[in-house]
Amino acid sequence: MNAIETSQLTKIYSGLGKKATRSLDHLSLSVQEGEIFGFLGRNGAGKTTTIKLLCSLLKPTSGEAFLFGQNARTRESRRLLGYLPEQPYFYEFLTPRETLDFYGKLRGLGSSERTRQWERLSELLDLKDIAHQRIKSFSKGMRQRIGFAVALVGDPPLLILDEPMSGLDPVGRRTIRELILRCRDEKKTIFFSSHVLADVELICDRVGILVRGQLTQCGRVDTLLGGHVDQVELVVRGIRAETQATLREQAEQHRILEDVEVFVLGSRAAANDAIRLVQSGGGEVVELHPIKARLEDYFMREQARHEEVPRGDVA
Amino acid sequence: MRVLAIAHNTFRESVRDKVLYVLLLFAALSIFGAKALGWISVGQDIKIVKDISLASISLFGVLVAIFVGTSLVYKEMDKRTLYTIISQPLHRYEFVLGKYVGLAAVLALVTAVMTLSSACYVLVLGGSLEAVYFLAAFLIFMKLLLVTAFALLLSSLSSPILGAIIVFCLYLFGHATGVFKDLPPQFEGTFAKQMLEVAYYVIPNLSNFDLRSEAANGVAVNPLFVVWVLIYGVSYSAVFLLLAAAAFQEKDL
Ligand SMILES: Nc1ncnc2c1ncn2[C@@H]1O[C@H](COP(=O)(O)OP(=O)(O)OP(=O)(O)O)[C@@H](O)[C@H]1O
Ligand SMILES: [Mg+2]
Repeated sequence: MNAIETSQLTKIYSGLGKKATRSLDHLSLSVQEGEIFGFLGRNGAGKTTTIKLLCSLLKPTSGEAFLFGQNARTRESRRLLGYLPEQPYFYEFLTPRETLDFYGKLRGLGSSERTRQWERLSELLDLKDIAHQRIKSFSKGMRQRIGFAVALVGDPPLLILDEPMSGLDPVGRRTIRELILRCRDEKKTIFFSSHVLADVELICDRVGILVRGQLTQCGRVDTLLGGHVDQVELVVRGIRAETQATLREQAEQHRILEDVEVFVLGSRAAANDAIRLVQSGGGEVVELHPIKARLEDYFMREQARHEEVPRGDVA
Repeated sequence: MRVLAIAHNTFRESVRDKVLYVLLLFAALSIFGAKALGWISVGQDIKIVKDISLASISLFGVLVAIFVGTSLVYKEMDKRTLYTIISQPLHRYEFVLGKYVGLAAVLALVTAVMTLSSACYVLVLGGSLEAVYFLAAFLIFMKLLLVTAFALLLSSLSSPILGAIIVFCLYLFGHATGVFKDLPPQFEGTFAKQMLEVAYYVIPNLSNFDLRSEAANGVAVNPLFVVWVLIYGVSYSAVFLLLAAAAFQEKDL
């Protein structure tokens, strides 16, 4: 069963005196159980709109969404869901401990369960030191950690995180990345939105790219990049002059750096041939780096391709 | 359970808010200060202390109901604290109900504190207290529950300022519904008269909840009347609450 399934999900915001905008346009998407799915798009692409529809904060204009087969507008579906909003806001007059207790009650956890939960989550998110301070005084990073803890209350199998790393410093981003991976190890499904490609590239199994409310691409990171040949950078030492000549013919680039030489080869097969040649010629392979096509380049191309088409305004 | 969790939080929020104490202080000043300011002449002391006390309980209770009530839901939408709450496995009406119960508990506390301290004051002044004094305070509380339910309805529809103005109008008209009924003869047969008659039947008559003069004079009240007023108050509150829940149900957050 898919953890998330949407079919033709559409949201048009309309209001008195406001121009109606189609913020999400027939989104059909499925996220498998146990995967980390990255939801990419620029500002205003409709990521938050999608997420709010999944969490039943918004009512779809048309189309449906299902979480583990349950319609996302039912209360049962929300039992399976942990949600971290874009900028999580909690009651400022409460302490982290009281906050987690409150959400535990909303999830129907008993008092001993809530205590256990606090032990587990305060440990995981390092909340012990600030347990009894009011949230009012907290920094962005602390709030984000509380938000993550709240999303994990009740141990839901699906996490929906709206830009979980935005506004955090490198250490904070890494913490969140590690948390996401850890949740995956616990067999949770994680759906998160971002416009920071590096974060997505590092941890996602699959990504979807949203441009102006439309899903333009969806698939595994490596297949999305598949059309672009991987390059391999080979660093060698001590090769003979004729080996060097042969390699220079095969390589796309060649550089000499002090005592080593660097060859950039156009494919994995070419790299393998080159390694054999170096070894048979008495040389030594010092380093080997695959150079992957960057998701970022791909994203920019996709974006440019679709931006030309004007946005579907509602007549 | 979930309703109580929300109610508990609403209560905690208000109790940790300084505004409540400022209001209570003003209420205390108006009760205890009345004598000091010489508003009361010797001889009529006790009656007037009772009357002023009940009037302050009503006024300050209504101020809390209006100012806290009209921002109850709106504030949570505005500050987006709702996102993580509505995405929990709870019904939206449970949220609305929880907010209501929480504020009702605050109002119960406020009326109880004011009633008891004014009662002590009356005893200290050497006056006597009858059950009707407490009954009067209880009916004021029922009135506050009704006003709160209306404030909550507006809180899920409009901004707090507009809401407060509308609730305040309801409060004023509610105390003067008689004027809609007893119109001067020139209104006879006009459309305006029909409209005002509708208003007479729709707007809750808040003077039903007013037992101030009975309490001041220590006159007993017919229990049947009290039961009728209770049913009257609860029905109006329930209707306002249902409307508030319905307004909130389909809202995009
Ligand atoms: N409440 C609303 N009323 C009207 N339009 C809205 C509303 N919320 C969002 N929109 C519009 O919907 C579109 C998508 O917004 P959304 O917040 O989903 O984008 P996003 O991808 O999350 O962007 P960001 O990266 O900035 O968070 C935007 O054009 C936005 O202006
Ligand atoms: Mg967003």
